[in-house]
Amino acid sequence: MQPALELKNVRKTFGPTVAVEGMNLVVPRGALCGVIGPNGAGKTTCIRMIMSILFPDSGELSVLGRRSALEAKDRIGYLPEERGVYRKMKVGAFLIYMAQLKGLAADDAASRVPRLLQEVGLPGVEGKRCEDLSKGMLQRVQFLSAIIHQPDLLILDEPFSGQDPVSVRILRDHILKENRRGATVLLSTHVMANAEEMCQHVVMIHQGRKVLDEAMSGLRRQFDPRTIHFEPLDANANPASLSRVSGVERVDSMDGTYRIALLAGTDPASVMARLAAAVAPARIELARLRLEDVFVRIVAEGSYSEAASQALRASVTAAGPEGALA
Amino acid sequence: MKQSVRRIGLVAGREFLAAVTNKGFIVGLLMMPAIMALLIVVFPRVLNRNAPSIRGEVAVIDQTGQVAGALRSALAPEAITARRRESATRALQNTPAVVRDAATSPAAMERAVGLPPQLTIVERPASADLQHEKQWLTDPVAADGLRHLALIVVQPDAVVAATGRTRYGSYDLFVPENIDDRIETELYDAIRESLVAARIRAHNLNREQVEAVMSVRRATSVTVAVGAERQTNLAFNRALPFVFAGLLVFGVLIGGQTLLTQTVEEKSNRVIEVLLSAVSPIELMAGKILGQMAVSMLVLAIYIGIGLFTLLSFAMIGLLDPLLIVYLVLFFLISYLLFAAVFSAVGAAVNEMREAQSLMTPVMLVLMAPWMFATVIGREPNSTFAIALSFIPPVNTIAMMIRLGSATPPPTWQVLASMVVGLAAACGVTWFAAKVFKVGLLMHGKAPDMATLMRWAKQA
Repeated sequence: MQPALELKNVRKTFGPTVAVEGMNLVVPRGALCGVIGPNGAGKTTCIRMIMSILFPDSGELSVLGRRSALEAKDRIGYLPEERGVYRKMKVGAFLIYMAQLKGLAADDAASRVPRLLQEVGLPGVEGKRCEDLSKGMLQRVQFLSAIIHQPDLLILDEPFSGQDPVSVRILRDHILKENRRGATVLLSTHVMANAEEMCQHVVMIHQGRKVLDEAMSGLRRQFDPRTIHFEPLDANANPASLSRVSGVERVDSMDGTYRIALLAGTDPASVMARLAAAVAPARIELARLRLEDVFVRIVAEGSYSEAASQALRASVTAAGPEGALA
Repeated sequence: MKQSVRRIGLVAGREFLAAVTNKGFIVGLLMMPAIMALLIVVFPRVLNRNAPSIRGEVAVIDQTGQVAGALRSALAPEAITARRRESATRALQNTPAVVRDAATSPAAMERAVGLPPQLTIVERPASADLQHEKQWLTDPVAADGLRHLALIVVQPDAVVAATGRTRYGSYDLFVPENIDDRIETELYDAIRESLVAARIRAHNLNREQVEAVMSVRRATSVTVAVGAERQTNLAFNRALPFVFAGLLVFGVLIGGQTLLTQTVEEKSNRVIEVLLSAVSPIELMAGKILGQMAVSMLVLAIYIGIGLFTLLSFAMIGLLDPLLIVYLVLFFLISYLLFAAVFSAVGAAVNEMREAQSLMTPVMLVLMAPWMFATVIGREPNSTFAIALSFIPPVNTIAMMIRLGSATPPPTWQVLASMVVGLAAACGVTWFAAKVFKVGLLMHGKAPDMATLMRWAKQA
């Protein structure tokens, strides 16, 4: 079977600026793929090219087996980063209109609207004007407009930006539900924590180029952080006894907890047991893989400097509290 | 292809509904008939009712000694009322029967005639000093509140011509500043009447006979066309070109303006990219243009309907050639297509209405230009100027409509040729506008100038 999405050596420039360069990407059917990278990396440009809103200068594209998204419009659901509604239109009418544009019959669309609104926690708002809804509510309505016709391919550009935690949770559940239904999902985000939690596959873009294209499971193996977070039960415990445990390379203290780096090739489970024996722990855990770390490591390779890595880190975490997954 | 047509239809339907269910639209639609009703019905009533009767003195130096008496009775309030009534009746002779009947009802007559001025005649001796009497006109208003309104000096040979001459003498009229022009007209009429009466008396003529000899009733001309004769109505013929040109421009503006604001709004509230995932830019533009065209057609249909109903109720429907309405619709469609394409391209190119203004100014000037020439074209619809203008898009449609509405309409081949030229121009402009529309939709930032638009068109 052909992949849901394929980009071959795609390049796009805006005047002198190269927005996307040498982009190769294959998204198999049924995948849930995250495109991550800081603001301005070229994510939206890629997505707009996939949607045939922009056209590449060179390279080839295939969407759902077709040469362009224009030929498969009705099977694609798209939530752009720049999204709006007709402010004066009623919510129900807006959703029905969008569904009709996507090829659904009016009565079919009308029968789906109340159920979908109910599912995203907005029962009975179909008669309200869009301008009367809060921003978070509107974003859920916009999301519905992308999935109301049950697309085979769902493309979401920064779906979580500007969302409150409740909306983020509802959205995440529905994205996963669409994926389980069989839709291939491609979502972009600059907040890597979001991608970490839900994607099976991540693609990292930096300055218009793909720098990583891996399954999350492979990433976890490849970028094993070999770090243990340790919080002693007794705040006055002596950290020196931790660094004497065999297999420990270094211990850094940070406000009452310790980051313990392990020597290469050590088994984390046995070190954790030894650490717990040395100092009674309140909490001891193996550090999760953080895409942010992976990103910084990849991008900063070769020209590593503390300042550069700080700046990169800031660019992929700067979503504020509401951007993170609840 | 079928899907494309379906999507265009959906967009057009939404545009149409959004426009006609808007409160502003309904208010705007009723505004014009409301203003006209106000001007025709309410305004004259308010004006006349509040016009106070003028009181004042008129001084007369009668050097013939035969006019002053007649003048006194000619300026009496009853005489003035009678004269006004007569002239109103005469003015109505050319109007259709329905209007005449309504206007000559006692109440309507009362309103038209109004309250007559109360004039007091003050006779001065024939030897009075002219300079001194002139000064009397500029005197401040006396304690009795009577204004000094005029000084009439009847010349000595005004009633009996001087020996050896056939022409009669006349009179001099002196008035102060700021005199009501109705009073002046009243004086002219009264002096004329009393002088003629005095002359008839002096020559021992029979007054009735003289009046009968002088009177010729003015006929209404009958227009003879192939196979039909109809009563000519000058006022109607003069107004028709303007009405047609007005309807055309008005129709284009109604749809075009909404198109512009809607596109700017869609772009600024970022609904555009959501739409573009479902429809192509060209489908979107076509749908919007068609939707607003339906709105314009609805408005035109309502106004034409009101117009036809008015003609019908005044039994004047025979004055209008039905083919003209067909031409109006066709020329409207051509102009609308051209201007709508421009309006939508401008809407797509800018970020907000404020930026649209500078790009719209030349477009509006072009649209309004034929208005300036409307009188010229209407008077001489077959002049070289008028003919040339009917083949220069985009003003050709309006120029042609004025000519069609005039008393001597152009030959059919010119009408058809003008249509072809207009249609070709509309297609060309739409082609260019579509390119700008496509590129402009997703462009945010600096407001584009003409050069940028050209670059976009090349790029697309």
